[in-house]
Amino acid sequence: MREVAIIGAGMTKFGRSEIGLIELMSEASIRALDDASLGDLRVDAVYVPNMGAARLNRQTAIASALVDRLNLFPAMAEAVENGPASGASAVKNGFQAIASGMADLVLVTGGERMRAVNNLEATDFVASLSHPQAEYIYGVTLPALAGMFTRLYMERYGVTARHLALVAVKNHANALDNPYAHIQQRITLEGILTAPEAVVNNPYIADPLRLYDCCPVSDGAASLVLASREIAEKLGRPVVRIAGIGQATDTHAVHERPDPTELTAVRLAAQKAFGMAGITPQDIDVAELHDAFTILEIAESEEAGFFRKGEGHVAVEEGVTSRTGTLPINPSGGLKAKGHPVGATGVAQLVELTWQLRGEAGERQVEGAKSAFACNFGGFGNNVVATVLRRED
Amino acid sequence: MEDKKVYGVRCKACGKELYPAHALCPECGGREFEPIEIRGEGVVLTYTDVYALPLDYALRYLRLAIVELESGLRATGQLLDDDPKIGKRVRVTVGVVRERGEEKIYGLQFVPV
Repeated sequence: MREVAIIGAGMTKFGRSEIGLIELMSEASIRALDDASLGDLRVDAVYVPNMGAARLNRQTAIASALVDRLNLFPAMAEAVENGPASGASAVKNGFQAIASGMADLVLVTGGERMRAVNNLEATDFVASLSHPQAEYIYGVTLPALAGMFTRLYMERYGVTARHLALVAVKNHANALDNPYAHIQQRITLEGILTAPEAVVNNPYIADPLRLYDCCPVSDGAASLVLASREIAEKLGRPVVRIAGIGQATDTHAVHERPDPTELTAVRLAAQKAFGMAGITPQDIDVAELHDAFTILEIAESEEAGFFRKGEGHVAVEEGVTSRTGTLPINPSGGLKAKGHPVGATGVAQLVELTWQLRGEAGERQVEGAKSAFACNFGGFGNNVVATVLRRED
Repeated sequence: MEDKKVYGVRCKACGKELYPAHALCPECGGREFEPIEIRGEGVVLTYTDVYALPLDYALRYLRLAIVELESGLRATGQLLDDDPKIGKRVRVTVGVVRERGEEKIYGLQFVPV
């Protein structure tokens, strides 16, 4: 199997976009291609992670549309739909194409334009990934699944509303230093939790989860250029190697899991990714986790092996996961504050980690980061992709 | 008359009960199942009040729960209880859980015992 490196990274600012989906993805792609400085070399495969173009933007076959806009003919191209894990799934597809020798240079560009529809429609769009007969018909939404998960987690492990709020405060603070972040607003524990006006400013969405426990609905695109290690070295780019990828699935209906507080697919995906990379969670310097809800950052940090089950919230409280802690989590601001254009998210996590490993993350740089981990969480944990990146000098 | 019950399945080969239905039995790989009615009593495993309401609902909030039934099966549904608690005993009923224009969708509703 050939080694694969990330040689270009770029993204658009997340938030509300005035331009269309293909234009948005085109912008991110050009940034990644410029960053890769390919010269005369041509991309020979394009993967386009996206979850909702058909429904939200009434457009299908978007990979062909993107290739056309970027004049990347005759590259192989396809869209990749794997729910909120589409992004890292597509990076895995690109990795496989290069590792197998079927391609040398791959563009992976994920994007979503969710704000093309109103919030109710966007929520319903995401809710349609739940089990149609056993969950969706009851009014189940992603916040509802997360709310039930959170209540059980609190009961079992002593997680409190304060721990959840600490995750939000940390990630919002990180996003202040990320010019690509959707939400750039400093929040405080007092403002979202203890002040009398907190009940108004931070209302319940699916209790115990409140507004500031949930990611925003965002537009945005993110892009990576992948190459064989040989080409990466020839181009003289800093080599960020995709050292490990793991993916695992779990039951569609959350209630069917033997223990619904366990995110088994996160654990298995992470184990596979670490095994392939030949390193352990203790070797990781920085991580981007899929904090669509604050509880997920805590739960994933445990399942990935960074902390013991039931101790992730303690790590947050002790500052271990803050930017100056021993394991900074979501220096980008995470989905929580950077935003969550679903098809773009898994790619954007790796864009951030590529910048971190190259020392190009500006104010939010984690000093000396050499090994990084990302968790891209699909469904409510029914399809998870974990990725390990390493800086090679 | 329309059947308003909610069904899971029992594997004809090994007896494993599943809700919702699957095409292959996770225990034995069996492919033949018979329907089993989701009914009886159970306890609330967890619940939430959804204030960011989905499409089709005009309420202040929607109370949803996962219930662990006496049979060992679990089910997600609506919790009709003004004083919800984890571990509280509830009974399965079937009622209208969603209305789409003229269409009424029936499903599981849990009420206190």
